[in-house]
Amino acid sequence: MTYELVSGLETHIELSTKTKIFCGCTTAFGSEPNTNCCPICIGLPGTLPKLNHQVVRYAIMAGLATNCQINNISKMDRKNYVYPDLSKAYQVSQFDKPLCKNGYITLDSGKKINILRIHIEEDAGKLVHERGDTFVDYNRGGVPLIEIVTEPDFRSIDEVKEYVEKLQLIMKYVGVSDCKMQEGSLRCDVNISVRPQGEEKLGTRTEIKNMNSFTFMAKALQYEYDRQIDVIESGEQVIQETRRYNDDTGETESMRGKEDAHDYRYFREPDLVTISTTDEEIEQIRSLLPELPSAKLDRYINEYGISATDAAIIAKYRKVAEFFDEACEGVKAQKIVSNLIISQIFRRFPTDGEKEDFEISITAKMLNDLVLLIDNGKLNMNLAKSTLEKMLDTGKPVSELVSEKDLSGVDESALRQICEEIVSANPSAVSDFKNGKTNAFKSLIGGVMKATKGRADAMLATKILEELIK
Amino acid sequence: MITREEIQNIAILSKLFIDENELDTLTQDMAQIITFADTINTAVEELEDFEDINNLSNVFREDEVLPSYDRSLILKNVDGGENGYFPVKKRV
Repeated sequence: MTYELVSGLETHIELSTKTKIFCGCTTAFGSEPNTNCCPICIGLPGTLPKLNHQVVRYAIMAGLATNCQINNISKMDRKNYVYPDLSKAYQVSQFDKPLCKNGYITLDSGKKINILRIHIEEDAGKLVHERGDTFVDYNRGGVPLIEIVTEPDFRSIDEVKEYVEKLQLIMKYVGVSDCKMQEGSLRCDVNISVRPQGEEKLGTRTEIKNMNSFTFMAKALQYEYDRQIDVIESGEQVIQETRRYNDDTGETESMRGKEDAHDYRYFREPDLVTISTTDEEIEQIRSLLPELPSAKLDRYINEYGISATDAAIIAKYRKVAEFFDEACEGVKAQKIVSNLIISQIFRRFPTDGEKEDFEISITAKMLNDLVLLIDNGKLNMNLAKSTLEKMLDTGKPVSELVSEKDLSGVDESALRQICEEIVSANPSAVSDFKNGKTNAFKSLIGGVMKATKGRADAMLATKILEELIK
Repeated sequence: MITREEIQNIAILSKLFIDENELDTLTQDMAQIITFADTINTAVEELEDFEDINNLSNVFREDEVLPSYDRSLILKNVDGGENGYFPVKKRV
């Protein structure tokens, strides 16, 4: 029998605020343990939380960017559980009135993954296990999170991966989070069940917690899918529980029986007041949203005529996309810009992380100046490429690297004269070419470029040479 | 009506140990507390629903960093915090 995978995702994203959700302690990553803490972070009795306004704004931005409705009235609740990563024995989260609800993200196939809700909450501290002992660092405690909960809409591991990649990119574009999986600022809990193909009723689900890498997530899902099928085929029943993926064994293992919502005994956080957001405020935040990745991609492909592959590479990195957009100002052939970025500039940014940070020595305006010269036929492609190399090396603008003389190019009659000279000076190359040695043509072109110090338009030179030799 | 099993479950969630012979008394006590709290349901509602008792909304702080506490103060009440961490006692 074939089984269908059914999966839903809860994604926790750390917001890029400067301070924690309820106090003014910094959210900086990598500090010495327990140095970014105050009595609120460690939950001392008598302390009072005060909500960071930026957390609310960011969460609304995240909601709007994923097509959510924003609740005008929202509130915080206590989620009670006893575990040392939370010193208060409850997490301040949202239960029945989250900030955002009913959104979606569209996959490339056109399928919509429905987002049930987005709520804000505090992150927990970090447990460190050492030689059988456990220690807690509360620096992360109180760092603001949004939790994005989808419906069980995923039917394959690829869909899960695509959704997370799209979500990550949207949040980076909107600027609410750096979404660095390796630093834990984007973590996923995956709910998974299987059912016989064609069956309507959902199977019993398990939840795999805290995955912060695409590779682990794919492996864990595959393992859990196979495991649940084995359980069912052997006539047993899948138990609803929380599991953890162990990368050493490549297996998921049981952590604990799954709590039901009522086990958390949610109740309203009495120390925090209602969050009320007017439609005007929501529209004001919407007006601040940048162009989203899907819209950018669409513009690059349909307006600029860039191939889908190239457009996706540019749009994949927010800073690159912004650089590209600025470099395209007033340019007729945007494709030249994308080609220069992908084939030339990216050689200096080989890794994903380097493209992500995109610390480039020239401004987008400088590239724009260069491309406008190409666009106007003042600079040929070869010279443009070597000039770009110099620009990247020195950080200087094109005006300092290319003389007026270079820019004037070589007009057609002058070029024709030079070509004629080259042809008559190299009879052997000409006869070699006529005898079928196509490589001989390259030496003729090389001669023309040398004579014009690279200023000649190679396409035009080729055309003239071909005419002359024929 | 609240049951012995519910009391037992709450104890497990709260990591509290309850002796078997305490369960009946606790169940009765809890039932009384809940019945007492339930009297509020008999109140006649004449006013609109309110979102919170203070009738306040939108008390925010702006996203500005304040100095954190010195770690020695944070760990002042902690035995075994010399390495900068809160040690966790082994759970029963």
